[in-house]
Amino acid sequence: MSAPLLEIDDLTVHFPSAAGPVRAVDGLSLSLARGQTLGVVGESGSGKTVTFLAAMRLLERSRPEIHGRILLDGVDVLTLPAREMREVRGPRIGMIFQDPLSALHPLLRVGDQIAETVRAHRDVGRRDARAQSVAALAQVGIPNADERARQYPHQLSGGMRQRVMIAMALILEPDLLIADEPTTALDTTVEAQILDIIDDLRTRLGIGVVLVSHSLATVADVADTVAVMYAGRVVERGRCEAVFAHPSHPYTWGLLDTVPALGAERSRLVPIPGSPPSLIDPPPGCRFAPRCAYRFDACTRHLPELVERGGGHADACVLPVPGRGARRHRLAPSGEEAAP
Amino acid sequence: MIDGTPTRPLLEVQSLTKRFPLTRGVIFAHSRGAVHAVEDVTFAVARGRTLGIVGESGSGKSTTARMIARLIDPTSGTIAVDGTDITRLVGADLRTLRQRVQIVFQDAYGSLNPRQTAGQIIGAPLRVHHVPGDRRARVAGLLERVGLNPEHAARYPHEFSGGQRQRIGIARALALSPALMILDEPVSALDVSVQAHVLNLLTDLQDEHGITYVVISHDLGVIRHLADRVAVMYLGRIVELADAAAITAPRHPYTAALVSAAPAQPGIGATRQRIVLTGDAPSAITLPTGCAFHARCPKARLVSGDPHRVPERCRSERPPLDPDADGRQVACWYPLESGDDLIGAAQAMAIPVAGTQA
Repeated sequence: MSAPLLEIDDLTVHFPSAAGPVRAVDGLSLSLARGQTLGVVGESGSGKTVTFLAAMRLLERSRPEIHGRILLDGVDVLTLPAREMREVRGPRIGMIFQDPLSALHPLLRVGDQIAETVRAHRDVGRRDARAQSVAALAQVGIPNADERARQYPHQLSGGMRQRVMIAMALILEPDLLIADEPTTALDTTVEAQILDIIDDLRTRLGIGVVLVSHSLATVADVADTVAVMYAGRVVERGRCEAVFAHPSHPYTWGLLDTVPALGAERSRLVPIPGSPPSLIDPPPGCRFAPRCAYRFDACTRHLPELVERGGGHADACVLPVPGRGARRHRLAPSGEEAAP
Repeated sequence: MIDGTPTRPLLEVQSLTKRFPLTRGVIFAHSRGAVHAVEDVTFAVARGRTLGIVGESGSGKSTTARMIARLIDPTSGTIAVDGTDITRLVGADLRTLRQRVQIVFQDAYGSLNPRQTAGQIIGAPLRVHHVPGDRRARVAGLLERVGLNPEHAARYPHEFSGGQRQRIGIARALALSPALMILDEPVSALDVSVQAHVLNLLTDLQDEHGITYVVISHDLGVIRHLADRVAVMYLGRIVELADAAAITAPRHPYTAALVSAAPAQPGIGATRQRIVLTGDAPSAITLPTGCAFHARCPKARLVSGDPHRVPERCRSERPPLDPDADGRQVACWYPLESGDDLIGAAQAMAIPVAGTQA
């Protein structure tokens, strides 16, 4: 396998606060190969968005303390001077956000906004930039692209706006697309359309895609590899089919058991007890231990690192590996009262 | 209608319609048509049961919910609670109704007054309706019932997490012991692990108090979990009404598209294919003729045998919501048969179909 397109190595992002540093990301490592989709799953506050804002160097105004490396094709973007970073943001990495309405300028026609992106980075005339933006809109499946390019964001539906964002993110032909909750605000049928477009562009353009989502099911549908985040760290990662077929971290078990599934028999849901820990004063040892039904004394002694379990599947859990799956099924149904 | 019980359903909705007029001009306002938000919706819910309403944004599900709660007035049609028509109630009668019908909103933060404590918020219905008894003790009991600490009564909404706020909204709705609760996207703003707690709470409350629920959600998994019966809405009308257990084997092509787009339980190693619909739902101002779904319908293409043609009937006549042999109601001229290749038809319509390995 060739060198990864994106490699994040032991990243920490701590924000200063009156009560002490907030450890939003705390020792996170992951990687993504060119032409693949990495799904990053986690609840609110698990650090998934902060990680990729750090990769885009968009956090600097909040003056965080950032350590570790974020390598794009072997180059650490954290060390680049601001001028060179401008040539990464856009031309090398495109990013789309959850809420396309607030990411688009309300008073500019969408075609002009895309053309502006082109002209900021390339020496092209107004007319050429406009033609390119219409072509980009057509590429993301917008009918009558020429007419749509002359419309304002409020004239477009949510799904159309998200397509405009994708067109804008991809017009400079970046190597990496970061999609942060791209379908959360959209209807299910529109979500399916958007995921299809992203997947289709990935195959056609050979780009790498990071799909950040709170929904395991969304990620399961389109990702090649998946990383599950909890309290600023990756607790499990691996090939999608391996992680979903044989999840090995109790937090992933919890996430999978807690979703009401369409096909499954209706039964009482098994929620994860408690709530995520404070990021200012995290619990000793494993961050998930206080909520974990399977914890034992070793869990609170030291912070578990990701350990490779074969085939690229890794988890950060100190439970003995043999018999772990059996343990899950023995304990899970007791549900809410499982943890003391 | 919902099940075979001889007693009268708690909620009966008959031909409910809501049109929002579009006017132009201030002094000499004249009508320029209307948004057809809800058109001729009829259903009933038995006491202690749950009806789920699914549909995309703009399908009229929230408007329906708000009409049942009498937050907006219907253009026509009737809503009966326990056999009494509530659509024309005013004054004292309307206040009495408010005690029996309560609503929980999606945005728990937006629906709680930021300047009132949780105790004041939950106690407000008791105060407004002059419920006798020790209000403080009752609020403490309600807080405990929804899984919060009675000492939390003195806290303000911003001091709670999203899930806790939704519990406050539920406690407030519960304060007057309603017979009917309308839950408008009750968990869609919550993280998955919090969602499960709130869904379990709703199930427990229904078991204990025999409350009737109308649940609105765009999430079929949530609907399937809570509801006994499911109404699928498209452009203001119910297109399919079926038992929740049967919804995974849909008969209306739109339901089939919704079901196939809904994320399945991850972890099953099968290849899944989605029916991806083209475009957006048509305008609710100028409704399409015939079946409202015909322009996006893969089944219509399957029937005509031509990806660019729709049977004449789908374009010109609106299909009625007719019950089939199993008591399921489907508004379609050509309901799905087993063996229909909708994915093939969708592909033929030049729609990208994603084969995905879960």
